[in-house]
Amino acid sequence: MSLAHRNDADRRRQEAKRARGRTFVAITFVPVVLALALVATLFADVITDTVSWQIVEPAYTTESWSFTEGFAFFSTWENVVEKELVARGEDPAVVLDDPEERRKFRLRNRVELLWQLDGAPLRYVVTSSRDDTVADYGFFEGLRQLDAIRAEAGEGQEVRLNPWLDAAFLTKNASRTPVMAGLGNALIGTLWVIGLVIVFSLPIGVGAAIYLEEYAPDNAVTRFIELNIRNLAGVPSVVYGILGLYAFVRVFEFGPTVLSAALTLSLLILPVVIIAAREAIKAVPPSLRQASYGLGATKWQTVSQVVLPNAITGITTGMILAVARAIGETAPLLLVGAAAFIPRAPEGPLSTYTVVPIQIYSWVAENDVEFAHVASAGILVLLAVLLVLYGAAFYLRRRFERSW
Amino acid sequence: MSQTVPEDHVTVRSDPVDANDAVVAIEDLSLWYGDFQALLDVSLTVPKNQVTALIGASGCGKSTLLRSVNRMNDLVPGVTVQGKIHYEGADLYDPVVDPVEVRRRIGMVFQKPNPFPKSVYENVAFGPRLHGFKGDMDAHVETSLKRAALWEEVQDKLQQSGLGLSGGQQQRLCIARAMATEPDVILMDEPTSALDPIATDRIEELIHEIKQDFTVIIVTHNMQQAGRVSDRTAFMHLGVLIEEGPTERIFTNPQHEMTERYISGRFG
Repeated sequence: MSLAHRNDADRRRQEAKRARGRTFVAITFVPVVLALALVATLFADVITDTVSWQIVEPAYTTESWSFTEGFAFFSTWENVVEKELVARGEDPAVVLDDPEERRKFRLRNRVELLWQLDGAPLRYVVTSSRDDTVADYGFFEGLRQLDAIRAEAGEGQEVRLNPWLDAAFLTKNASRTPVMAGLGNALIGTLWVIGLVIVFSLPIGVGAAIYLEEYAPDNAVTRFIELNIRNLAGVPSVVYGILGLYAFVRVFEFGPTVLSAALTLSLLILPVVIIAAREAIKAVPPSLRQASYGLGATKWQTVSQVVLPNAITGITTGMILAVARAIGETAPLLLVGAAAFIPRAPEGPLSTYTVVPIQIYSWVAENDVEFAHVASAGILVLLAVLLVLYGAAFYLRRRFERSW
Repeated sequence: MSQTVPEDHVTVRSDPVDANDAVVAIEDLSLWYGDFQALLDVSLTVPKNQVTALIGASGCGKSTLLRSVNRMNDLVPGVTVQGKIHYEGADLYDPVVDPVEVRRRIGMVFQKPNPFPKSVYENVAFGPRLHGFKGDMDAHVETSLKRAALWEEVQDKLQQSGLGLSGGQQQRLCIARAMATEPDVILMDEPTSALDPIATDRIEELIHEIKQDFTVIIVTHNMQQAGRVSDRTAFMHLGVLIEEGPTERIFTNPQHEMTERYISGRFG
């Protein structure tokens, strides 16, 4: 039979077939574009929300210095602060030489390089975070009505573009005053909780995966366990919160502590860790196990020296993705008692704590437009952390992917 | 391949191996995968420092027989074994025998080269380390690689991945790895079926050389290969050992009609 079209009818059928194919591709393409557009919108919204125009009444901006006066490479900050303190009539050494005083000053004050001040270009000023906010405008709104806003600013007030997400945001602690609020304690709380989650879930998860994959007999009980692990991976996280509240907070009497939170989140991600570790173990080719047994290795030697080293990338990838999920969890932690405001960073497993998503949640719940900006800054930090984790997982998978 | 074997077939043996030369003596070995009987009363004596080839069509049980010798079949779920394999005065299937020790003493090379994704050095050192080798590991690795005729090619890349070698080199690495645990017997399961003719040639030469130190049992699909490398040949069909004897005799003057038909290429 010839490969060429025998007649026109044949060709028309062929073309109709191709057209159907193209239509199908187009239909499947639409949701992808929609999803990308939504993600882009979300990001744009969050990012622009972390910047706002404010009319502030500076607590004290006594002086300003030209660029050439202020700039000093890596010690610009010290240089300008020194000038400011001298201008205020204080002793610069008190602040600059004592690390604790220095930290406090840094949290409350910002060295800014303004494009224009009093008609002169590029002036350094020190502004205080305790400045009173008179009005707050969104980024685009402010851009559109900048002149009106400028006109609105009264005597001794100035219009400023406030970037809510700056380095200090990561070290400042929860505060009733939006400009003073930061993620400090929440980040430390997240580190504590996630650290313990890894400590609990990695050995248990990998151990369970090794048992199920290498040792468990293939019988009804094993299959029942496997089925349940898959189902548990789909249980809503708030249910784990109720379990954690009952088991860890009440029965074991750990109270609303880092430990309760870590145990609850460990339970939450264990099914995911086990499934990922099993897949990774299963992916180690049987020929390698055979080679190991053929050399007189015992089962445990084979598992520990051949199977695990070759599954470690897959296990790590799975673990990173599971941890990324745990970092973003809010609902179960609300139940096991994460605090909205804590005065001090957690110091151990039995400290009270808060975590980043809970902190964001409490900011969003605040009835203050400025807290919306703080919340956006927090969301951006959380997204950045997750992005880094997903990136690491992606990199690991690409870098160490093997074809056997 | 519809030829059936009569129930009461008795293995045709020419020039039987003297019991004093035997390293491994398989006695009335039967093996089942679940309900399927893969080996029927196979008896075969393997002489020391010689190469014994197992030939036969696909599914005749030659690989199963080979894997019975170092108890690799134990790893397959649902296997039952009956009969004995004598090795150094013991029965390998005696419950007191540790299969792990058996596999150290009776090494194995597989069909597809399967080096570990580690360095060349670590591949060879893997077995000795498992068994608590005390001594000069560098020298031991070098000796093993030299015995496998691989030293010249890899001495500059001992720390590179074993997976970076060519297929033939990988297979010789696997042979070096098997020899490094200092076994008495090396089992080879179609060791050249994944290799090109030149690499195959080198492996065959190697088998010739190593038989001074080791006893080799080799399964092969390739009858020319059996003719080239082996001293004795055993022909199997449907789980039954049809005929065994010196390779030359089997190939030039087979006693059984089925053997004759197989080696002349009329079935299988």
